Amino acid sequence: MQRRFLPGWVVLILLLVAASALSVAVGPGGFTGAKLSAVMDLRLLRLALGIIAGGVLAVVGASLQGLLQNPLADPFTMGVASGAALGASLTLVLGRTAGAFAPVGGFAGALVTMLVVYALARVRGRVTVTGLVLAGVIMSFLFSSLVMLAMILGRRTLGEAVYMMMGHLGAVFTGTTVWLFGAVAVLSVVGCAWLFSMSRSLDIMSSGEEAAETLGVDTQRVTKTVFVISSVLVGAVVSFTGAISFVGLVVPHLVRMLFGPEHRRVLPGSFVAGAGILLLSDVLARNVVPGGLPLSIVTALVGVPFFIYLLRSRL
Amino acid sequence: MNAIELSGLAFGYDERLLFEGFNLEVAAGELLGVIGPNGAGKSTLLRLVAGLLRPARGSIRILGRDMGALGRREVARTLGVVLQENPFAFDYTVSDVVMMGRNPYLGRFQSPGKHDREAVTAALEFVDALFLRDKRINAISAGERQRVVLARALAQEPGILMLDEATSHLDIAHQQLIARILVQLNRQGKTVVLLSHDLNLAALYCSRILLLDRGKAVACDVPERVITAELIRSVYGVEPIVTRHPESGRPQVMLPVAAPGQPQITQMSQIPLAGTPESQNP
Repeated sequence: MQRRFLPGWVVLILLLVAASALSVAVGPGGFTGAKLSAVMDLRLLRLALGIIAGGVLAVVGASLQGLLQNPLADPFTMGVASGAALGASLTLVLGRTAGAFAPVGGFAGALVTMLVVYALARVRGRVTVTGLVLAGVIMSFLFSSLVMLAMILGRRTLGEAVYMMMGHLGAVFTGTTVWLFGAVAVLSVVGCAWLFSMSRSLDIMSSGEEAAETLGVDTQRVTKTVFVISSVLVGAVVSFTGAISFVGLVVPHLVRMLFGPEHRRVLPGSFVAGAGILLLSDVLARNVVPGGLPLSIVTALVGVPFFIYLLRSRL
Repeated sequence: MNAIELSGLAFGYDERLLFEGFNLEVAAGELLGVIGPNGAGKSTLLRLVAGLLRPARGSIRILGRDMGALGRREVARTLGVVLQENPFAFDYTVSDVVMMGRNPYLGRFQSPGKHDREAVTAALEFVDALFLRDKRINAISAGERQRVVLARALAQEPGILMLDEATSHLDIAHQQLIARILVQLNRQGKTVVLLSHDLNLAALYCSRILLLDRGKAVACDVPERVITAELIRSVYGVEPIVTRHPESGRPQVMLPVAAPGQPQITQMSQIPLAGTPESQNP
């Protein structure tokens, strides 16, 4: 039974290993020279950030698609990313460009968004998935326009803010941010494992909340838990990398094509595939154009054609 | 002991109560049909009994135990529910879907064991759908899907089954198949509650019929005393023709050609049909 999924696992793990090797070996700094060890430190941190960010975005995307019973959901559907962008932009506008301010501001923005969306979606003590989507989409619009307002008010940091919102793995690591990133990495692993432990409930929820309830699933608890874990993880990742689009949307679909829709395979598969694909996109983003491209441009250029193919082949 | 016992039940979606002081007893081993016009409260009643809605007042007892004291997993082991709509956002295999019925027996980190797989096979066999086990749920017909969803409820190994419009999208062969499966389950001792718009199906197979109208139990008795011209007229506002089933003698309902006061269509041949030779060739 399990053996038929072995080739899929081999492909995903090879993808991640190859992407990691490329990510470390290729870069504007070359692979030789006196400064190699300093360059390697940077690249290894970049590799770790890529694995965590790609893995988390894909796992959260897969979990939310299951929870919302909607194959078009992604990690940013619930508005957390735009909240993080707003928090980070505010710190930039206020002139706090250095050190840990942007990540902390981004994470705070994400958490505030999570609380607002949760409060809006709560009606008579119940949180419905429809309520979460509606509240999340509305808040996304509000915060995106506030980000633009912040950008106009603080013209000098415009370029930085754009780069921030479009996603990158070039986080500047200082003493403090390395520790912060370590905390994010631990948080990510714990959060993804927690989501994984809810695999069967997510499977059942994808046939509707009421049906799941009659099958003994506490849909309220699953909804609230998945929402909070997803928001915290995405907020934490996005505050380091900005909003990297498409990985969280496309990777789960890719993994379902390999493994079928069951979350106990889709979630770990998405972590590995998301990490690999994000690292490959990053290799392209920083080596094809001098000076580097924002990551979302590459993920979208690769992701959109694939997604169109996916939609056409399913309709 | 009663399988389901509702007493003094009150419930409304807004300030206006749909059910008020509602009582119902369903004996263990009964095959109860629930009929009534759209909006009569059939599905609401099912949702209340299944614990999907909370009553404002009154008590719901399942196999003698108060609903409020039962956890949802315990309810799921006692009561299998087939809802009207069963969308699947992702394309699970049929056996994955039926295995979901084992959820109330499995711990959070527990994988399905031998008994769970046997229960899935037995449930699929019972509804004559074992051959579908490796098919994708969104790639089978509506009749097959209804059997699979019923098998999922059977995999819960419940003493009570409740079905909301289990036959409404199905052709007559599948309607008969589902009805026969339900009768057979009932003979094996399961309590079955069947919500249906199909008066004839309910009259033919149910031992007792509850006729609901705007949250009130208009009648709850053997089919002969519920499916009568008077009751059907007063609840549905149609002028029915009630006859007897030639084999079982159960009441069967037909609609007249036209309601009183409306123009009668006398002969089909008088209706001009587009595409007939006459209309093409004047």
